[in-house]
Amino acid sequence: MISVSPKILLEPQVKLDLNNLAPEQVALEIKNLNLYYGDKQALQNISMSIPKGQVTAFIGPSGCGKSTLLRCINRMNDLIDTCKIEGEINLHGENIYGKHVDVAALRRQVGMVFQRPNPFPKTIYENVVYGLRIMGENNRRVLDEAAEKSLRNAALWNEVKDRLHDSALGLSGGQQQRLVIARAIAIKPEVLLLDEPTSALDPISTLTIEELINDLKKQFTVVIVTHNMQQAARVSDQTAFMYMGDLIEYSDTNTLFTTPGKKQTEDYITGRYG
Amino acid sequence: MAIALKSTGPRQLKNTLARWLITVGGISVLFTLVLIFLYLLYVIKPIFESAKVEPVGQFEIRSTSPILSTGIDELKEVAFQINQQGEINFYQLVKSAAHEKGSLVLSKNLLGDKSTDSTTLVNVVDSGVENKLLLDSEGNVQLVAAKFFSNFDTGTREIIPSVAYPLGEEYLEIDENGVAFSQLSFGMDDEKAVFVGFTDDQRLIKTSLIAEDDFTYDSAYETIYQEIDFPVDHIDEILVTPDMALAFVRSDNQVYVYDLDDEDVVELKATIIPALEQSSTKPEHLTSMALLSGSSSILLGNSAGNVTQWFEVATDNGRQFKKIRSFKVSDNEAVSAIYTEQFRKSFYTLTPSGSMGVFYTTSEAELWRGQLTPKQPTAFAISPRADGLVVIENDLLKIFSVKNEHPEVTWSALWEEVWYEGYPEPEFIWQSTSGSDDFEGKFSLVPISFGTMKAAMYAMMFAVPIALSSAIYTAYFMTPGMRRKVKPTIELMEAFPTVILGFLAGLWLAPIIEDYLPAIAMLLILLPISVFVTAFAWHKLPKKIKAKVPETWAPMILIPVLILAASCAFLLSPVFETMFFGGDVRQFITNDLDINFDQRNSLVVGIAMGFAVIPTIFTMAEDAIFSVPKHLTSGSLALGATQWQTLAKVVLLTASPGIFSAVMMGLGRAVGETMIVLMATGNTPILDWSIFQGMRTLAANIAVEMPESEVGSSHYRILFLAAFVLFVFTFIFNTFAELIRQRLREKYSSL
Repeated sequence: MISVSPKILLEPQVKLDLNNLAPEQVALEIKNLNLYYGDKQALQNISMSIPKGQVTAFIGPSGCGKSTLLRCINRMNDLIDTCKIEGEINLHGENIYGKHVDVAALRRQVGMVFQRPNPFPKTIYENVVYGLRIMGENNRRVLDEAAEKSLRNAALWNEVKDRLHDSALGLSGGQQQRLVIARAIAIKPEVLLLDEPTSALDPISTLTIEELINDLKKQFTVVIVTHNMQQAARVSDQTAFMYMGDLIEYSDTNTLFTTPGKKQTEDYITGRYG
Repeated sequence: MAIALKSTGPRQLKNTLARWLITVGGISVLFTLVLIFLYLLYVIKPIFESAKVEPVGQFEIRSTSPILSTGIDELKEVAFQINQQGEINFYQLVKSAAHEKGSLVLSKNLLGDKSTDSTTLVNVVDSGVENKLLLDSEGNVQLVAAKFFSNFDTGTREIIPSVAYPLGEEYLEIDENGVAFSQLSFGMDDEKAVFVGFTDDQRLIKTSLIAEDDFTYDSAYETIYQEIDFPVDHIDEILVTPDMALAFVRSDNQVYVYDLDDEDVVELKATIIPALEQSSTKPEHLTSMALLSGSSSILLGNSAGNVTQWFEVATDNGRQFKKIRSFKVSDNEAVSAIYTEQFRKSFYTLTPSGSMGVFYTTSEAELWRGQLTPKQPTAFAISPRADGLVVIENDLLKIFSVKNEHPEVTWSALWEEVWYEGYPEPEFIWQSTSGSDDFEGKFSLVPISFGTMKAAMYAMMFAVPIALSSAIYTAYFMTPGMRRKVKPTIELMEAFPTVILGFLAGLWLAPIIEDYLPAIAMLLILLPISVFVTAFAWHKLPKKIKAKVPETWAPMILIPVLILAASCAFLLSPVFETMFFGGDVRQFITNDLDINFDQRNSLVVGIAMGFAVIPTIFTMAEDAIFSVPKHLTSGSLALGATQWQTLAKVVLLTASPGIFSAVMMGLGRAVGETMIVLMATGNTPILDWSIFQGMRTLAANIAVEMPESEVGSSHYRILFLAAFVLFVFTFIFNTFAELIRQRLREKYSSL
């Protein structure tokens, strides 16, 4: 078996064979996933592998199940009473829907950023260290370091370093979203899920976040849901196109946008529906 | 073509109409509130006004001899004077159909038939409003009373004066030896008259006239003579209390108190020796003495211008006369005379220069100070209703009106400890009425304000934990289907009439708590424990069994468990009582722990009022918690927080302004609640935090006493003041709550 160092993985010219990844290259493996909201099936037999250290985008028209799939990855769907899930999602070869999985521990490894910025009504500092605090970390120095590092990583440090102890609610929308990203990466997850992270933001903030995503993939595996095809094309390495709860096509971004393999994909990316 | 930017027609009309209606509605609400506030103030205001003494008229009386005594009728229309020649002259004060203002209405010689031309009156002793005891130069004693009747024959009111002899027209034989008196005092009622006098041959005697029937109808009586042992040979003043129980005998700087109740022997009960400054160049001495209304207090005036009040106080060595308080009447003059009101604890002081002071003892208030006449008047009388004064000085009869409606009420009497007559020390007391006419209303707002706080506090202690935890559970953990049923049900409880809660608490719950006190205590421990045990057992239950119970119904398992725990507590209660408390907890608490136990106590009120307050707190707190945005909870959960961590660190924090308002609303409700506290507290105005004692709240106090109080009386106005205090309480609470809520909202409100 060929061992692939992360460095090589980051080289864009190395094209991955998504259907045949080496185990070291896989961050997440979704196997035959079916999801029902009551009687309605929202995801149909999804199987895919998400490569490590890369940005994978889910695109598709509204209601196609891309956000649902994303939320399956850190079991946020558990909060919905009528939701029933079949199939597996493997992280480190372990099924996250297995019997003895601690959901809270899972979510520490699979962080998530939502569509609307959702800082807590606390100070900027307390927002960033929230994840560490609930894990029981109270050492001031550790928290300070983590806060600074995360804020730097989220490209927010220079803007907020003088007002760390002001309310996070005083930040602009774009800043809040980056704060939320900083909060998510402060606990060093392996996978970062972004659910339409820029849909509530203005173009300039969107650009900042997109640049940030590019930086983030150096440390994390990023999965992003977006309804903006240009954004998917700009930020992602792999793109999955979903339609009506089915995974229609999943390949590297260039291929999907230039030579889509399916008619539905082509119709969607050329703007015939969606 | 012009484009119409203005909306026209019906739309415009509706707009304007709506705007006006809303404005008028809003303003009228504010206006009503302000009006209530102003009305309360309007009713309260008179109690804080100081007294006013104003001249209403004066005229010259042509009297050839010095004037000894004066008086006035109840309506202040006719005044009289008694002069040395034994004449009583009545003067019209107000112009009437029959008499001009200032005219002589009636003149009568009071000296009896046996008197000669040279006989003169030497002294007139007042007792009560109308009785005058006349002592003439021959040593004869006669009791007369100036009576006034209203006559409406002429179509207008005419006051007809007359002179009556309550003990008969014959001279009274007060001394069996027939010696004249240098000092004489008396007290009388319908059945008895008691005279204490000091004869010219230096005997102190007590003479009782016992009516054969009733003095009102028949002046026949039998006489009992007694002699009193007296240590000194000189007496300045004697006073007999109107109830004929005590005689105060002033000799130089001491006052001897004699007990007159005993028919056989008159004993010296106490000696009052006021501390007087003797070392200086002007040694102080007693100059005057007066009995305060109600006949338990004596006022002593001295040469340094001070008046001191003394009454009997229970001490370790039995009852003793104690100096209670003192008043500075004048800086450099002696207190030459003290006059007291008939029904209130007010007194008037005069100095040789004619300056008068008006004081109220209990409230320690100086009500008025001023000069009525250029020098001390020869005769002075307070009108029967204490709303006027007659003063005679230098052949001028002057009438003054006195406006002194509420002398007993001062800020310090309402809010500070007051030393009431007969109490061993100053205390906070609310006791507005009693069976006796001499009773002095005790209006301390402290016990009832305290009671309000206490009731509210116990209610909150019961309600807040239950209401908040159920709000948290309902909003955060309950399935939506269940929540839809539970929330309206609890909200419905709010519509429950509190009067029903009140009588259930007073008549049903209070006896149960009294009978099963150990059970109540055990419930406090058993209920939480059984909940935790059940939860733990449920957690450990195999999944297979768990899956059979629908999640919605899982909490219902608690209901039988709680019922079981409660019945256990009640079943075990008598067992516990016999085992540990000798069969009766109440006895145990009262006798062994020495704690007073009332059946209507704070525990009952706490539970009953807690029930009334729970829906208020629950509804608002639940709304606040439920409306915490879902994206905040998901944000926290997505960071790996557990449900509990999310609840504690994000949800409650974000909902804190709402939760705080909920609690303050509950508190506001508990403070203003009337029916429950009225029926379940026992309404005892005491200052005691004990959970086994009742209380009286401001609201209940108003409800209880308002129907009984005389409109316009001090009591009535103080009840309005209590309402005002309640108003201020809730105002302060709400303002404070709103300020904090705004603060919290600024800090924690989310997007």
